[in-house]
Amino acid sequence: MNHHRAGRLLSAYLDSELTAAETRAVHAHLLDCAACREAYENLRAGRELLAGLPAAEPPAEVWAAIHNPELRASSAEAEGAPWMSAVRAILVRFAPRRITVRRPAWALAAILVVLALAALPLVKGTVDRLHATEIGVDLYVHDHAMQMGTAPLVDRAYVGLVAGDAELVLAGETPRPVGDGAR
Amino acid sequence: MSETLAAMAIMAPPSEVAKAPAYTAEELARYDGIVQRYARHVYNIAYRMTGNQADARDLSQEAFLRVYRALRRVQPGAPLESWLYRIVSNLYIDLLRRRPKVRVESLDAPIDTPRGELTRELPDAAANPEVVFEREHIDGAIQQALGVLSPDLRMVVVLSDIEGFAYEEIAAMLRVPLGTVKSRLHRARQVLQVRLRPFVDARRRGWQP
Repeated sequence: MNHHRAGRLLSAYLDSELTAAETRAVHAHLLDCAACREAYENLRAGRELLAGLPAAEPPAEVWAAIHNPELRASSAEAEGAPWMSAVRAILVRFAPRRITVRRPAWALAAILVVLALAALPLVKGTVDRLHATEIGVDLYVHDHAMQMGTAPLVDRAYVGLVAGDAELVLAGETPRPVGDGAR
Repeated sequence: MSETLAAMAIMAPPSEVAKAPAYTAEELARYDGIVQRYARHVYNIAYRMTGNQADARDLSQEAFLRVYRALRRVQPGAPLESWLYRIVSNLYIDLLRRRPKVRVESLDAPIDTPRGELTRELPDAAANPEVVFEREHIDGAIQQALGVLSPDLRMVVVLSDIEGFAYEEIAAMLRVPLGTVKSRLHRARQVLQVRLRPFVDARRRGWQP
């Protein structure tokens, strides 16, 4: 066995974790090689140092918490940012049963993303409509755009987008006969 | 198989496991038995890994909370060591992920300042033998040396040299090949030896703490 390989096996040799053949080979090399004997003695002394470390004794509070994990569980849930537990409480109240809220921060983020996506056409549409009032030439278009800019929720295009119904009839509007748009 | 299931139940984040049902007196006694048998080892491993009491406390409490919640899935008398210590290891890795700002700094490296480089003046461990070889001092030095190791190396050396597990057991706990345990331990010991040179030399001269 060469010096380099023996050096790498010394640690496992020390722990008696080598095969019988490897053990014999390392043993034979140690008889020949002073440097490896030196390294081996250092390894052994180092291992003894670690083995001599006193075991860290758990403090009384740790024993108490481990013995009564439920106490700790309830106190752990009370910990953390207050908004997080508030979000968790709201989500738990409104979520269907059997759905647990694992990550209140992620849940809140997901809700915010959904709200932002829903609001996007609304905001953008309003901006576009207000912009249209500035350059509109037709009085009818101007009035219409003005109205839609201030009350975008009754804009047929927007409500149709949200409700998915092209034949939507808005409150107060006279129903048009079907097929009216074809003429 | 049942051990794997139990392990999986325990590995799951606590909120995933439904709130523990009211246990019978017998089940609670079984839990107490597990605590009596493993709590010291779990705490010791956690302490040697984290190097401070607060984190060791959190880690061991969290580990036992998981055991408690999965108690019904744990077969009576099943050897828990392997997965209990794996939980500690995983919890420690989680702890590091949550705290990425902690960075290991070599004490030997010079500190960059606007006025040039500074070198730390470290007390020479070998200079004052009477102080050096007090038990507390050497414990602190060893803990500091362990802290220099990467978590992977540290876990292997804690399980092997402090807790006394065989390579095969460590490989099972950490779910790494046997060869990986061997090489990590070898590297860890090389680093520790250099860091603990005065103590190693004294130990070789027959000194006992």
